[in-house]
Amino acid sequence: METSEKKELFTIPIGPQHPALKEPGSFRFTVDGEIVTSAEVRLGYAHRGIEKGAEGRSWVQSLYLLERVCGICSHVHATAFSLGVEQLAGVTAPPRAQAIRELVAELERVHSHMLWLGVAAHEAGFDTLFMYSWRDRETIMDILEGLTGNRVNYSANLLGGVKCDVGDPQRDTILKGIDMLEERTRHYLDVVTNDAVFLQRTHGVGTMTADQAELLGTVGPTARASGLGKDVRVDAPYAAYADFPVKIVTAEAGDLEARFQVRLRELFESYRLIREILDHLPPGELTARMPRRIKPAEAVSRVEAPRGELFYFLKSNGTDMPERVNVRTPTICNMTSVVKMVVGHQLADVPMILVGIDPCFSCNDRMVVVERKQHEAQGWTWEQLRRYGIDYYRQIHS
Amino acid sequence: MNTEETLAAAAKILSDPPRPAEITRPTPTWMNALLASPDDLLPMAGALLDEHLGWLSCVTGLDPGIEAGYLEVLYHFSAGAAVITLRVRRPREIPAVPTLSDMIPIAEVFERELHEMFGVEIIGLRNINKLYLPEDWPDGVYPLRKDFDPAVLNVSG
Repeated sequence: METSEKKELFTIPIGPQHPALKEPGSFRFTVDGEIVTSAEVRLGYAHRGIEKGAEGRSWVQSLYLLERVCGICSHVHATAFSLGVEQLAGVTAPPRAQAIRELVAELERVHSHMLWLGVAAHEAGFDTLFMYSWRDRETIMDILEGLTGNRVNYSANLLGGVKCDVGDPQRDTILKGIDMLEERTRHYLDVVTNDAVFLQRTHGVGTMTADQAELLGTVGPTARASGLGKDVRVDAPYAAYADFPVKIVTAEAGDLEARFQVRLRELFESYRLIREILDHLPPGELTARMPRRIKPAEAVSRVEAPRGELFYFLKSNGTDMPERVNVRTPTICNMTSVVKMVVGHQLADVPMILVGIDPCFSCNDRMVVVERKQHEAQGWTWEQLRRYGIDYYRQIHS
Repeated sequence: MNTEETLAAAAKILSDPPRPAEITRPTPTWMNALLASPDDLLPMAGALLDEHLGWLSCVTGLDPGIEAGYLEVLYHFSAGAAVITLRVRRPREIPAVPTLSDMIPIAEVFERELHEMFGVEIIGLRNINKLYLPEDWPDGVYPLRKDFDPAVLNVSG
């Protein structure tokens, strides 16, 4: 009698209604046993044709449309667009408006990084950290609401300036909130740096060297955690970043642990900037006059979103509507790195590696189907894959 | 290297004979180079990368309208504050550009988007599957072209 071992590769499709992306995405992972051998991504399930939509709307209407590209980092979209349109029209927003743009951008970064910390902790099975960080994030949401009137899609920007001012009552609320958050962030940084259990999920996982990060075109904290000094706020200061400069935060290790540390350490820079802007807010007008029609021209506008470089290309044609609006979001740049990074890793690490680039999250648990060669199909939800990852690590360390 | 030095170094590469690109500077930090031929794209992009004069930030498709008779593809390379844009013009009927994805992996997603939104053929790109549009999107319909008519989609309501 003969026995033989036959290796079979399984393909695991995850998505398309996938919570790990702002646009639900579909992944196909091929696994050999536990190890991922290839990965593929398909996007576009939430493609809303915003670029085309902007071509049929006025510049002002497009501002509101583009602010809705993303529900987490809406302000950076409106800022990139406003700065680009102002460039086309040859208008410069007043210094006070530019400073308020930066203030809201940094508040948004705090909210976004806090949100990410919670989601990442949840994927690792640390739900207490998830709940704490989201509780603390509410402070920022309240501050943003007090400042602009909205919790999300703040609409702080206008073409040619901003629509909200910062008065003494708001200043006091912001400073009080920031003091509390700074203390909390110090604690979170301690947890992700020193908690032995947490480090098992992050230390040496999803490592990317500086060369790889550069070759794969990564941006933002994902690139900075691999030692690449890439930050639009520093490289090409926009809004008020030349007057209130930011110090770049990098780490060398390039693994998940480094990505946690970079994002949390960036928060301290944001707190420092917020205080500095509030202390030295330039006086003056909030808006400059914008023409309704814009002469034919082209502009490139880059800003640093919480997830990395956001790139806008704008073209005007002499009417009150854009000829072309091209948006390149940071997640698309980092997504290629996920597809490359997961190869060679345990299936159990996939949720953490994916969440490590901070893709925008929607909040649903979705279907994962494990296909077998023998036509057995087993349904997995994302929750089950997360659970699988947590249990896997619990077993090997017990 | 500061912005001015970066752009000067890039201009030197791009204006190299035999086919110098047409260079314009719309802003102090932004340089446009209209390539004389799409065959120049790979060598010129490669030269920029070799000299560390930027990384591929974005690829933009542009349709100047049916009368113009061409489509334009813009490759934006960022280096610090500087942006160097290589522009390629292709006839509207048969727009084709070579792929950059062998040299720059991230180019694949930009090129797949360009292909499905503008109908630009990407020569040498292995994975030409849809990235953003639905699987049942009709062939030959390119939504970001100016002559796109949503009626062809037969969307009710």
